Amino acid sequence: MQTTIFTFTVLLLALIGYYMGRSRAVSTVGGDIRKLHSLPRHYGYFVAIWCGVPALVLCVLWTLFEPQIVNSLVLSGVSSLDPDASSAVVSRVLSDIKFLALNGTGRGADDPSMIAAAAHYSHLKSVGTASLAVAVIAFSIIGLVIGRRRIGAELKARNQVEDIIRLVLLASSIVAILTTIGIVASLLFEAIRFFGKVPFTDFLFGLEWSPQIALRKDQVASQGSFGAVPIFAGTLLISFIAMCVAVPVGLLSAIYMSEYATPKVRAFGKPMLEILAGIPTVVYGFFAALVVAPHIRNIGDSWGIDVSSESALAAGLVMGVMIIPFVSSLSDDVIRAVPQSLRDGSYALGGTKSETVLNVILPAALPGIVGGVMLAISRAIGETMIVVMAAGLTANLTANPLQAVTTATVQMVTLLVGDQEFDSPKTLAAFALGLVLFCVTLCLNVVALRVVAKYREKYD
Amino acid sequence: MKPMTKENAIDIDNSLHINNEMTKPDVTSMKIPADQVKIKAEDVRVRYGDKEALFGINLDIPKSKVTSFIGPSGCGKSTFLRCINRMNDTIDNCSVSGQIHMDGVDILSKQVDTVLLRAKIGMVFQKPNPFPKSIYDNVAYGPRLHGLATSKSEMDEVVETSLEKVGLLKEVKDRLLEPGTGLSGGQQQRLCIARAIAVDPEILLMDEPCSALDPIATAKIEELIDELRGSYTIVIVTHSMQQAARVSQQTAFFHLGNLVEYGETEQIFTSPEDERTKGYITGRFG
Repeated sequence: MQTTIFTFTVLLLALIGYYMGRSRAVSTVGGDIRKLHSLPRHYGYFVAIWCGVPALVLCVLWTLFEPQIVNSLVLSGVSSLDPDASSAVVSRVLSDIKFLALNGTGRGADDPSMIAAAAHYSHLKSVGTASLAVAVIAFSIIGLVIGRRRIGAELKARNQVEDIIRLVLLASSIVAILTTIGIVASLLFEAIRFFGKVPFTDFLFGLEWSPQIALRKDQVASQGSFGAVPIFAGTLLISFIAMCVAVPVGLLSAIYMSEYATPKVRAFGKPMLEILAGIPTVVYGFFAALVVAPHIRNIGDSWGIDVSSESALAAGLVMGVMIIPFVSSLSDDVIRAVPQSLRDGSYALGGTKSETVLNVILPAALPGIVGGVMLAISRAIGETMIVVMAAGLTANLTANPLQAVTTATVQMVTLLVGDQEFDSPKTLAAFALGLVLFCVTLCLNVVALRVVAKYREKYD
Repeated sequence: MKPMTKENAIDIDNSLHINNEMTKPDVTSMKIPADQVKIKAEDVRVRYGDKEALFGINLDIPKSKVTSFIGPSGCGKSTFLRCINRMNDTIDNCSVSGQIHMDGVDILSKQVDTVLLRAKIGMVFQKPNPFPKSIYDNVAYGPRLHGLATSKSEMDEVVETSLEKVGLLKEVKDRLLEPGTGLSGGQQQRLCIARAIAVDPEILLMDEPCSALDPIATAKIEELIDELRGSYTIVIVTHSMQQAARVSQQTAFFHLGNLVEYGETEQIFTSPEDERTKGYITGRFG
């Protein structure tokens, strides 16, 4: 709450700074703005930045580090706390103190050192807020004064403002990159913890997956096994079925849309196809589980074939339908990017439409199409909702699409949903699976993007 | 296009107006003996959607000669060229009417199979457009489509003679399997000509074949056109009047969708009969 008020105050001061800077710049040259190095508004921005940026940075730093400083100061006063206490205990004591400070009663209300700590906490909080208010406003006013004083006809305000803008843009991209790195790092660290408990080779090459860890020693299945091969086999099987649907249908429809369809058909058909991409995957999920899977089983029964009600085939087919627009719109783009002169060349030699497509357009567009298909594969591998609802949970090592298999994403969901111990191999296995999945899709994406980029070079 | 002067702009507008009203347009056209005519166009009209591009072209193109079409941009010369091999069929909103007789058959009629027609009429485009295949496969593309070679050795021979005819064989003999797109611009254009003559056409249409090439490559192509003249009827669209004068025996001048004047190249360039032709050739507009 306070931070919001401070931010608004600083912004208001910056706005005032803008007009001050502007008018000062104009007045230093006696109203003849051609004598200024930059436009008046650049001087305005210059003062506004001096006024706003340091104060806002202070605000952000305060929000980030204030709790830690206050906490350590408060805890140092609690005599009943064992200095070697575990982090769980420390955080419990801290929340007790905060509760006491807020409500005046609660656990530890009979412990004088706790009451003192609570009072200390409230005091620190109020002092901190007050000092922050003073510091922030002082920062912006000092900035305002410095900025305004530096203004003169010779000041290269435009260049300085440009530099600041560049820094702001740089900072934004760094935030995005750091977030990604953070996510990968957390994945990596948890996976390493997992590999501390389960050998790396057991995980990567083991043929059995049953991640049950006993809570008590005498429980059945006290020893879980974490062989990921059946899971990745299942993932690959379902992705393969999906690609068998998506690649031919997507590619052929792209060829039709780009080469054969009249503009009217195209104007209607292409958005229709892209609506498929807008359907939430949950909807596909229950479509697979409630419509397609029973249908496949009925057909199987009538032929006398034993089909599991959660077959890989059902999940794969529906996933393939989901990916069709992905393949078709990427292929459509690359096919349309093939220069018209190549088509003309083939037609002028007496090539028919299909001969031209087969012999000239597809070979020319092939790298782009391959790139698109690889992106689609990584999409299929990472897809979760359809397989959670339509594929099974049992880790079968089978190539039979009529049996239930499970995928890496399904296992991650089941391992992490609900109340879980955070340090058992069962939970950590999800991170290991995630890491492998991440590596696979990363490789696919990198290769695909390279292929696509290489293709682009050729015709531009 | 250079800006037109006021007077001749009005002049041209008037003549256009008159042309549209009269049933027989006022064209200064030459007569070619009937047994030498390869292509005979009668009242060819083309429109793109609502926009009319050609207003009734009547033109006889002689056998085994080079005929050039000149005129300012947008005058319809390329459109007319593309009528001859029905390439305008590939443009959605383009409609062609009239008749073009080739050896007595109306090639604009619906009964004519464009695949067979285009095997007889080769075309070379403004920008070299080799397929992203090997040099060999580029030349073999047409013969394969039409089943012209029954064995590998026969195909080799077709490819070699085609490349030989365009003077490319000794330049690329050692790299027939390398991509055609790796050649220089002039070589690519000669490859495209080789590709067109590999199916043994009777007519070669060239749509500004040198406009993307440097002067040396242009000279080579012009030399080649001169050599090919004996075996093929060649029609070339060009923006360069010097080129038309150098390579062609007949020249047709198009303007605003009309054929203005058609005659022996020498006569067109030395003593044009129409004021508009004179204006264009002397650079007063166009």
